[in-house]
Amino acid sequence: MLEVNGLNVWYGVTEVLRDVSFRVPENKIVALLGGNGSGKTTILNSLSGMVAPRAGTIMFDGTDVAGWAPDRMVKRGIVQVPQGREVFAAMTVRENLELGAATRRDMAAIRTDIEELYELFPRLRERRGQRAGALSGGEQQQVAIGRALMARPKLLLMDEPSVGLAPLVVDMVIDTIKTLHARGLTILIVEQNVGVAAAVAEDAYVLKDGEIAYSGAAPALINDPEVLSSYLGR
Amino acid sequence: MEMFSYLLATGISTGALYALVALGIVVIYKATEVVNFAHGEMFMLGGFLAYTFHVMLGWPYVLSLILAVLAAFGLGILVDRIAFRPLMQRQSLVSVLLAMVGLSFVLKGVARHLWGGKGDYIPFPPLVSPEPIMFGGIMVMSQQLVVLGAAAVVMIVFALFFKLTRAGRFMQATADNPKAAKLVGLRIDRVYMYTFGVGSAVAAAAAVLMAPLTLLYPDIGFMLFIKGFAAAVLGGLTSIVGAVVGGFLIGIIEQLSAGYIHTSMQEVAAFIVIMVVMVLIPTGLFGRRGMRRV
Repeated sequence: MLEVNGLNVWYGVTEVLRDVSFRVPENKIVALLGGNGSGKTTILNSLSGMVAPRAGTIMFDGTDVAGWAPDRMVKRGIVQVPQGREVFAAMTVRENLELGAATRRDMAAIRTDIEELYELFPRLRERRGQRAGALSGGEQQQVAIGRALMARPKLLLMDEPSVGLAPLVVDMVIDTIKTLHARGLTILIVEQNVGVAAAVAEDAYVLKDGEIAYSGAAPALINDPEVLSSYLGR
Repeated sequence: MEMFSYLLATGISTGALYALVALGIVVIYKATEVVNFAHGEMFMLGGFLAYTFHVMLGWPYVLSLILAVLAAFGLGILVDRIAFRPLMQRQSLVSVLLAMVGLSFVLKGVARHLWGGKGDYIPFPPLVSPEPIMFGGIMVMSQQLVVLGAAAVVMIVFALFFKLTRAGRFMQATADNPKAAKLVGLRIDRVYMYTFGVGSAVAAAAAVLMAPLTLLYPDIGFMLFIKGFAAAVLGGLTSIVGAVVGGFLIGIIEQLSAGYIHTSMQEVAAFIVIMVVMVLIPTGLFGRRGMRRV
């Protein structure tokens, strides 16, 4: 479904990603692991169009989408759940979900999609009239995931969905990811929390200093002591 | 008592216009974090365009108003395309502000060229009979009532636009969190463009309402911009409600101080109040707590 080849990204004079290549097969969960500043988020930002790569191809469903603007990526089906959740804090939960469908025009379907989301996240139904900024971290994560789903993505990009959440809430996020996967969604997840990646991912790539250092099946990779110590600092 | 009620009525009706000017400033500031220094010229040109349509061409008032508002929407987009978008892409706030100030001078020059030499004051015919109406013991100019009613309608339409339309929601969302707005697929440069258009349209509506009460002259934009900006700052610069309340307060304060202290106080009273408020409550009356200072 997604095939990235030779991706190069620069921020000004700094090379942040060097010749990064990886694949996300349809209906799989793939994890990108690595320490701070290794370039994980930059990869997601290139895929969502927030950052324009200098070189390389991003083949998505047979089209090279490298360098496309975010709105085209969303319409194509690549949607990002950003790090730190980034909800519309002053707007209600329901308005946040509606905004997730900003690129769609099928108003009736949008309304039924919101109802479906309330089934997935009953908490959001209870909170639908409240300002998103007033919710707890876990609830905001549900808003952020729900908002991304409202665009009807084919590939969901999740940037550190567990960061800053209590262990119980992290379990809820893991369950949500598994549910979405079971429904047929393809997911690329960036995590510092190896436990979360181990719980959901099938394939994994480890980044170091903007390059892919290791790749393989997620469980094997994560249980490899050498990978853990030298690249993930465990 | 009669003087007080007269001053109050005048203050409320001019305050309503300041509020409309402030609304445009606040909406643009909320979305773009830039104060549109050409905003007064949107007001001025809106007034002159309505004058052209209504007085020079003899078209009906309401049609002239609508055309002037639409033209101002286009002018707002022009401000975005000339002074905001190309410069913001280079992340240069100072250049944006300078470009806006420059653009405002250019527009003022264009107005002088088109509508007469310097110092020309153009009268705009009143909509209703200039006879004052008595309410109990209170004397009110009927034009003031028209202005107040029309300003209220514009404010309500404006509020409904943000509450009920998708475009309004998109503007709110972009002001709330531009990064998230991009991520959900909003083209935020377009949202900014339309925000400039909407803000300018409201300014033009204010100008057309005000023209019969004052006179039109090319420098009127700056005067109104300063008053509207003051109202916006008083209200906290990011609050729609604050802009409206700030507008009315400035209008009333300047009339009362002109009437009871000295006419020269009319121009300065509002600013004294603002200074006091800014010292006591730096975020303005309705500003967000913890917001960075302006």
